[in-house]
Amino acid sequence: MANSVDSAQTSSPSVPTSAPATQQSTDMSSQPPSQPSSTGASKPAKQPKQPKANAPAAGPGEEKLTGAELKKKAKAEKVARRAREKAERETTGGAGAGPANPTSAKKGVAGAGAGGKDVPGQQAQKGQKHRRGSNSQPSATEQKKKQEDKSVAVFGHLYGQPRRTTIAGAGKEVHPAVLALGLQMRDYVVCGSSARCVATLLAFKRVIEAYTTPLGTSLSRHLTTHLSHQITYLSTCRPLSITQGNAIRALKLAIASIDPSVPEASAKATLSDFIDSFIREKITVADQVIAASAAQKVQDGDVIVTFAGSSIVKQTLLTAYKQGKKFRVSIIDSRPLFEGKNLARTLANAGLEVQYSLVNGISHAIKDATKVFLGAHAMTSNGRLYSRVGTALVAMSAKERAGGVEVPVIVCCETVKFTDRVALDSIVVNEIADADELVPSEPQQQVTGLFDPVAAAAAAQPDPKKGNSKTAAASAPADTTPAPDASPLSNWKDTANLQLLNIMYDVTPAEYVDMVVTEMGSLPPSAVPIVHRMSTNL
Amino acid sequence: MPSTSVALTPGLASFLKSLKTNPIDTSIDNLISLLKRRQIRHSRSCATATAYLLLRVISACRTTDAAKLIERVQSVGRRLVAAQPREMVVGNIVRRVLGLIRDEAEDDREADFNLSEAGSESQPQTPRVPDDHSDSLSGRFEGSDRSSSRPPLSQPAPITMFSLLSHPEPEASLPGTPASASPSGKMLGHTPSKDIRAEVLEGVNEIIDELGQVDDQIAAYALDHIHSNEIILTHTSSTTVQKFLLKAAAKRKFTVIHAESYPNNHEATHATVSGNSTGDDEILSTESFQKPLIALGITVILIPDSAVFALMSRVNKVILGTHSVLANGGLVASAGTRVIARAAKVHQTPVVVVSGVYKLSPVYPFDFDSLIEYGDAGKVIGYEDGDLVDQIDVQNPLYDYVPAELIDLYITNLGGHAPSYLYRIVSDHYRKEDINF
Repeated sequence: MANSVDSAQTSSPSVPTSAPATQQSTDMSSQPPSQPSSTGASKPAKQPKQPKANAPAAGPGEEKLTGAELKKKAKAEKVARRAREKAERETTGGAGAGPANPTSAKKGVAGAGAGGKDVPGQQAQKGQKHRRGSNSQPSATEQKKKQEDKSVAVFGHLYGQPRRTTIAGAGKEVHPAVLALGLQMRDYVVCGSSARCVATLLAFKRVIEAYTTPLGTSLSRHLTTHLSHQITYLSTCRPLSITQGNAIRALKLAIASIDPSVPEASAKATLSDFIDSFIREKITVADQVIAASAAQKVQDGDVIVTFAGSSIVKQTLLTAYKQGKKFRVSIIDSRPLFEGKNLARTLANAGLEVQYSLVNGISHAIKDATKVFLGAHAMTSNGRLYSRVGTALVAMSAKERAGGVEVPVIVCCETVKFTDRVALDSIVVNEIADADELVPSEPQQQVTGLFDPVAAAAAAQPDPKKGNSKTAAASAPADTTPAPDASPLSNWKDTANLQLLNIMYDVTPAEYVDMVVTEMGSLPPSAVPIVHRMSTNL
Repeated sequence: MPSTSVALTPGLASFLKSLKTNPIDTSIDNLISLLKRRQIRHSRSCATATAYLLLRVISACRTTDAAKLIERVQSVGRRLVAAQPREMVVGNIVRRVLGLIRDEAEDDREADFNLSEAGSESQPQTPRVPDDHSDSLSGRFEGSDRSSSRPPLSQPAPITMFSLLSHPEPEASLPGTPASASPSGKMLGHTPSKDIRAEVLEGVNEIIDELGQVDDQIAAYALDHIHSNEIILTHTSSTTVQKFLLKAAAKRKFTVIHAESYPNNHEATHATVSGNSTGDDEILSTESFQKPLIALGITVILIPDSAVFALMSRVNKVILGTHSVLANGGLVASAGTRVIARAAKVHQTPVVVVSGVYKLSPVYPFDFDSLIEYGDAGKVIGYEDGDLVDQIDVQNPLYDYVPAELIDLYITNLGGHAPSYLYRIVSDHYRKEDINF
């Protein structure tokens, strides 16, 4: 990993002659100052808010100073500028916390621990500045105030920039395929960490195919920056998954290791092949291997409990079913995504016997369970399972049911989902989704809305007839109901002291997990860090 | 269906209204059908309806013979319980009323005996212990000191020291429990008449009063259990829990995390949390006008049920409402309670259950499954997913059985109890012969 950092940074555009130098080149002073105009041109365009005062200050200093001094100076200037910007923003409307939080959050997710995170981190920050510039200032600050009011204090560190709602304001470098993917990820059309990883890689493949190296730079140096714009955009749509982070890191490593002398066409072909083989090895084939070995764990007469809709669990169950095993599947699902519905539909269409219940039915579903299969978003280095929120409840119920016999909990997980991050509880690492998803939505109301005219008529009728006080009291609420037709939560943002929390993941303690089935074999959760090291040091 | 309830949606309000006008048998049938159709749902509504019905039954039963009265109440009770065996509150109220009649009958007999004896002594004020009193005398006698502090009842009976002492409270409440919370629905002033019905009716009225006050009595303990800056997790829209929290909120600032209990109670929970009440006619109107916690400056965080485990590490206390409490200390509460209690246990977070004594039922759960009621599967998968409904088995359990070891404390209107102590309260409240009536 270490060499990826260096190469990534050296290959990043580095030492433009004017203002961006202060931000960019902290360690690149040894590079020749002559730089292609294309990068130089794009940079100032991206940073309209850059204070102009810096440019003349940096300009004359550049010639005389040595590398180390230049570095120091640049750093000092950066700090000063940040402070000034922060002060500015605070005076405009108390949005001062804004820039610090998203960067760190983004760094955390995108970088996922390895040193390579610096580049995306910085890029992310730049991208946000750009967007903020495009917004109208007062409305943005107003929204921010509200947002802060509504953020749950314990999870304060996880509230970043609200998710991007449109593609407006996306950088012009962002490829259309990535633009589309970003929105699909935001809307959970592409959902699940494997799917997001594959989709990202495929989109990046198209980005690379469409890429031409600008004059005067080499592919291995410039492509990383170019990809960083895409990554930044994706992470503003939805924080990157662990798999995405791992895949991006591998891809950057591959880019950096391309010899600059290799012609562009063949370099692009190499990268295409790399992406294809990464998807094949780490996900497609890995899934098949996992499904085959996990399916062996299924026996006739089993009752398999699973939570939400994991693609790998689906594949496992279908494989086992194809092998002619007779078993029953009990799916536990949760608000607000209802991912288990799709799993239930697929399995039922395939002919399996499926039982479906929500989180409130966990203890009933687990009662006659013989095995629990869980998917993963990631496995942390301390052996804990980081997965869709609610997974921990299922695993816990399996381990502690009153009958005495523990139900084995088997996690199906590709090694690409392993991370070297650690988490003790679900608060340290998590993703906060839009809380509005918890407000019962319109389509559901429409179905019941059919009754509304009848109900309203029924409520209206008794009113004139009844003079009794009791009836009046009883019918009074009935009269008020049609007015707030939607859920009582519909204007929760205007209700003081009311907060909605919609977290995406939780962390299951390692002691609830009996076995992790990976493409490298079945392991105990304690083996995760070892396997992770093996697979990243290849 | 009686004509009066046509205009109203069937429920507690319409039932109570129709009770006054309808013949008694119609009312019984009415309640049975309401129970069967689950148009009366909440434990307290069921209890209130049962109590009022029994009041009617007893007042309509023109007999002075206690045995006949018991028989009549038993037969009605059996029918009600058979209508909805999982609604244990109905059985509890019937048992309480039966116990009441038995006590009155016994007292009556004793009074006759004592009076004839006292007449010969011609000094009724002599404090005396009736030696011929039944077996558990020592326990019962304790209650008699306190009975004088109870609020005087409307009946203008001559209350003498004699009558106080010679008719001690049959259901000995424990020393230290507030007198007002005494569960016995018995009146003090005893006229040596043969008509025990009036006294029983008085007792039933006291039960009804108790049902009305129970939440406030429980809430009185709130400040002992909720302290500043605590994070409390709760579940469902239980009014008992809400009142408990509201009472504490008047004095202290804390945070409430509210799991929404989708799909069976989420609408009511959302309404409770946001204070925008929806027209739920089962919750009586006074409660729907109750202020929400957020109006008192309490931060309320609404979460989906799935996030309980994730947040439990930050929770100081879990406060749960319940559907009914069983004699072994376990409870039957709305579905999802069990995982919450378990998650709390895993995180070493205390679990407090608030419940009126009327929910305490003398049933030992030998077969957990029989206690669980299943609800409308359409709430889990709506009918817009028709293809799924066809193919898969959708389950929507309404209740969970929560074993006693997951509960740390019960708070009833009598105070706080350990789960292992509940059997004592059961034996205080129900007579042995009524447990299987």
